[in-house]
Amino acid sequence: MTAKLKQFFVKTGISVKNFFLGIGNGFKTLPQRLKARWNAFVSFLKNADGNVVASCLLMGLGQLFYGQWAKGLIFLAVQAVFVLFFVFIGAKGLVGLFTLGTVESNAWYGVEGDNSVIMLLLGILSVIALILYAVVYVANVKDAYKTQCAYDSLKTPPTFRKELSSLLDRNFYKVALALPILGVCVFCVLPIVFMILIAFTNYGGTTVPPKLVDWVGLENFGKILTLSDFAPTFFKIFGWNILWAVLSTFINYFAGLGLALLLNRKCVKGKVFWRLFPILAYAVPGFITLLGFKFMFSYGGPINYYITQAGGSAIGFLDIDAKWSSRLIGLAVNAWLCIPSSMLLATGILSNVNGDLYEAARVDGAGPWKQFTKITLPYVLFATMPVLISQFIANFNNFGIFYFLRGGLYIDGYFLASDTDLLINWLYNMSIDNNYYSIGAAISIVIFVVTSVISLAVYVMSPSYKQEDTYQ
Amino acid sequence: MKKTIPAIAVHIAAIIVLICCIGLLGGNGNTEGREKFTGELERNVTLRILENDTAIKQGYMSELLTAFNAKYADYGIVAVDANMDQYTDLANDGPYGYGPDVLYQANDALMKYVDNRHIMPLPVERLDCYSTTGDKSWQAYTREADGESYVFGVPVNIQGPLLYYRKDLLPDNWQTEWDDDGDGVCDIVQYWTDMYRFSKQLKASDEVTSDGAKRYGYMRSFLEPYFSVGYLYSYGGYTFGSNNTDARDIGHSKGEAEKGGWVVRQLASVMDERCIDDSVTVTAYSALATGEYFATVTTPDVYTLFVTEMKLRGYSDEYIAENLVTANMPMLPVSGDLEDESQGFVPSKMMGGIQGYAISSYTKSPNAALAFVDFATSYEMISRRNELLGIVPARNDVANTVGGLSQIINLNLSEGNIVVMPSISEVAQIWTPLQTFFQDLAKDPFRPSAEFKYDTKEKIKQKLVDVDGQIYSAIFTLA
Amino acid sequence: MKKLVKHPRRLFGVAITYLILLLVAFVFLFPILWLVLASFSKSGSLYSFRGFFPTEYSFDTFVKLFTDTEMYNYPRWFANTLFIAVMSSLIGTFLTILTAYCMSRFRFKSRKALMKTTLLLGMFPSFMTMTAVYLLCTQFGLVNQHWGLILIYSAGAPMGYLTQKGFFDTVSVSVDEAARIDGANNFQIFVKITLPLAKPMIVYTLLSSFVWPWSDFILPKLLLKKKELWTVAVGLMSLDDTEFSRYAAGSVFIAIPIVIFYFALSRFLISGLSAGAVKQ
Repeated sequence: MTAKLKQFFVKTGISVKNFFLGIGNGFKTLPQRLKARWNAFVSFLKNADGNVVASCLLMGLGQLFYGQWAKGLIFLAVQAVFVLFFVFIGAKGLVGLFTLGTVESNAWYGVEGDNSVIMLLLGILSVIALILYAVVYVANVKDAYKTQCAYDSLKTPPTFRKELSSLLDRNFYKVALALPILGVCVFCVLPIVFMILIAFTNYGGTTVPPKLVDWVGLENFGKILTLSDFAPTFFKIFGWNILWAVLSTFINYFAGLGLALLLNRKCVKGKVFWRLFPILAYAVPGFITLLGFKFMFSYGGPINYYITQAGGSAIGFLDIDAKWSSRLIGLAVNAWLCIPSSMLLATGILSNVNGDLYEAARVDGAGPWKQFTKITLPYVLFATMPVLISQFIANFNNFGIFYFLRGGLYIDGYFLASDTDLLINWLYNMSIDNNYYSIGAAISIVIFVVTSVISLAVYVMSPSYKQEDTYQ
Repeated sequence: MKKTIPAIAVHIAAIIVLICCIGLLGGNGNTEGREKFTGELERNVTLRILENDTAIKQGYMSELLTAFNAKYADYGIVAVDANMDQYTDLANDGPYGYGPDVLYQANDALMKYVDNRHIMPLPVERLDCYSTTGDKSWQAYTREADGESYVFGVPVNIQGPLLYYRKDLLPDNWQTEWDDDGDGVCDIVQYWTDMYRFSKQLKASDEVTSDGAKRYGYMRSFLEPYFSVGYLYSYGGYTFGSNNTDARDIGHSKGEAEKGGWVVRQLASVMDERCIDDSVTVTAYSALATGEYFATVTTPDVYTLFVTEMKLRGYSDEYIAENLVTANMPMLPVSGDLEDESQGFVPSKMMGGIQGYAISSYTKSPNAALAFVDFATSYEMISRRNELLGIVPARNDVANTVGGLSQIINLNLSEGNIVVMPSISEVAQIWTPLQTFFQDLAKDPFRPSAEFKYDTKEKIKQKLVDVDGQIYSAIFTLA
Repeated sequence: MKKLVKHPRRLFGVAITYLILLLVAFVFLFPILWLVLASFSKSGSLYSFRGFFPTEYSFDTFVKLFTDTEMYNYPRWFANTLFIAVMSSLIGTFLTILTAYCMSRFRFKSRKALMKTTLLLGMFPSFMTMTAVYLLCTQFGLVNQHWGLILIYSAGAPMGYLTQKGFFDTVSVSVDEAARIDGANNFQIFVKITLPLAKPMIVYTLLSSFVWPWSDFILPKLLLKKKELWTVAVGLMSLDDTEFSRYAAGSVFIAIPIVIFYFALSRFLISGLSAGAVKQ
């Protein structure tokens, strides 16, 4: 069993090595690949005939000349849609991205000016549209050239019907992924790009629309670096944040696993009944239970009621002096909230472990603990690595816990934060509470770079990423 | 074929020209300014009114709307409930067309909108309530803009803390033992020193209520700066300089504010730990009804909540009216020590707020909105509001007619004992630092004596200086 | 029994197991039970409690919750939440399954880059992007629209495709190959073979993408301005301090659909997750 675990680590190591070697090889072959592409492009420029040139001029025109009516009309329609988009939104958006507005509006006298942030947003949208346009344009030219090549080599190009049916087969992923990718681009990527760009403006404080926002370059990052209060608070909070993320991920994960193992024991009767209790915790919305817990630990709450009834003096579980007890309560409450789902996951995964392995282990004389560490744990870890990473990220950015349990405190030695705040809470204090959006955006970029490097490294190293098709 | 490159170039050039022409030439819609309050009522418009939840719950809102709509039916003006969250932020909603036309909020919330012109300067001299509303109330809504002084809101009611107590829970012998000034009113509810002494006695005794809860005298959470910062004001502290308008001058540590801090610490010691977090605030309604607490301090508008709780416990309306008393804040000792009356007394200063109406800059019908505000602040409507909601009217004529508390609070305001919350947007930065400070201070008597942080006034002073610094940096370091 | 008597150590183990289970049940049940008790408290305020228990019980709060709708229209909020959650769950699940299937079965140029990018995107502090989401919605007229919320929830759902991809990674491709020899295209394989096989996973995805809009507070608060459009989460947060028992009753009631959902589907759920794991 030890050998197996060792093998696991060796494999991981090899995959990491291969990953970097792969990158190295990628760079080595880069010039060759570039050259091949260039040659193809040059031959395209040399050989393209009139119809292809027509497609270069106007999307779909070449296809029409070739008699591919349906395809030609579709490309032509796409061309028209894009032109209309640029006429009505895109053109203003692209220009607005640079100026961020020139006329300040004055609502008192009905002067309608520019809304800088809307301009920024529409600007990004237009850039995305422009990129999309370029992609379609290139596809259009390529398509026309492909038809020409087919004719040149005396073959008939695939019919429109055939091309359509390939979209349901070989190219099915293109159709299937189009919608999800579009959705993610508009509602996830676009807002993130917006936020990143905000870090380079002076948006925030009193400079919010209708006032005009301007580009300020790296000024916000400079401000963060030179602010003497900033660095000490950052490192203090960062340290606690890492500790929190590791501890809470660890606790939730193993408590969930432990619970699942316990419920999996043969001697436990009525599994559905026992499993119901954690499910209850899962069913009540998190913010409600958090407020409930805050009250439960408050001075007027039930716990202190019983303490004082028993003649003790009330304990400030979450008050200003309660740094560590608040942290521990935060961990416990977070565990209460997260264990149910990690239990569900572990239960499912455990029911899949090959029973023969345990049988073999038992024959070899391995006890329950040994079975756990040598079979169960490596197996579960292997199977849930991506989930574990996303849990780590979720815990790192766990805003709700301390916002609801212990909000509204600025502790000495911290700049606009308390000693239980995570980076995300601090970010909230600065950017939302105090309206300093641009500074907040700059800080979140810093935080993002740090977390993403850690998580990405772990993810890429994980066997779940490297060996994803081992079991297909 | 060498025409490929020119063809691509022509295509790209066409797109660029298209973008540049339309992007650069497209002008703005309307850049011509115009005066909005022409006095001519817009016809056939719908006004969306944002009121507070209590007004809707108690039925005042529907009365107001019905009356207004009946009066302006000829013009086709219809006022409706905006049906939004009472704390909704106009800066988020207004510019995009989702905001209400008329808003009723507190002065700090409303005046925050002025910075970016979300609410309009009003021709208040045209309103019925102009002359009958006090200067201090108007001041809360006045701001310099473009070199001139404008009024942006119309005061409706004054929020200031009041003392709530149970007359039937006074000591039986109060007329002989607790009325040194002989004015026929128990000293406990007139002087903080006596309140302190009474509460201390109660806490030390083992008196319990009928259902077995330990009895306390004065109880009040110190967590909320709105209620606690008044103790600093009473001894010379202030929030912002120049009548709460200069954010560079933060003065919670100024004057002898540490005396106020000391009073807070002393008062906390006669309560229990529940004064540290917000436990007392929410408990107060039922705890006053059960007799667990003798007195608390809160705003006038929650009177009905105390009544509801007492009714639940079987008290009759007459009994409640007789024994649930609201009174002016007790006086504070000049010495700043609740055990030392020798130097006489000063009135308690308290932070207050003025709620009122403002008109959104994004309304399509400013004149109709102004007509609504005029109507809603008329003598009749304000009287009705006072009747139904128990608010303290900002109109002097109504206040004088109703008398009682309304008069006292209006007087307190004009004498400066109610300090109106700052109306500048920087006020948003004072709450968390002050809240932390008061939590820390209220916790102090409950720490083991070796860990006391604020056992001398100097230490309180030092901390207050830190707090002011913290607020200053919250406002200015990142800006 | 005989076996147990023979092995006192095993008996001890069973006792310990049940002891721990009891403890776990207590820990998870207690706060919920407290909430339930609070919802049956006669007085509106939480503070007419003696410790964990209300002084007087009554069913009034639940009656009030559903009849006194002038100010707090709980039934309406509930219906709104249900509509939003069900629609986003259906659309979101469809998109997630489709994404996971493609990422698992197809090998195309930018696939790995796409996988890493989605992981990174999840790391941005979500409230920082809320401003942009709000502005976007004002431009597309999605404010005060339930469909706006549904769109955002569904669009975000495919970001969490990893678990589902793990599932498809474990489904053997041999069945697909067989079908392909019979002349089926990828679309047909997806519809006729993969989807039925993935039934448990679909159920799991349905549940998890239902829970998010069901208990989310930030987005509906941002996008739904009109009270009659509110969801339960937004409505409950707007309650007065003195309305605690109504708050508790509302919170208890909102949990019921999820518990029912769980019971109805728990069979699928457990096997669904297990199928997501690697088969050794």
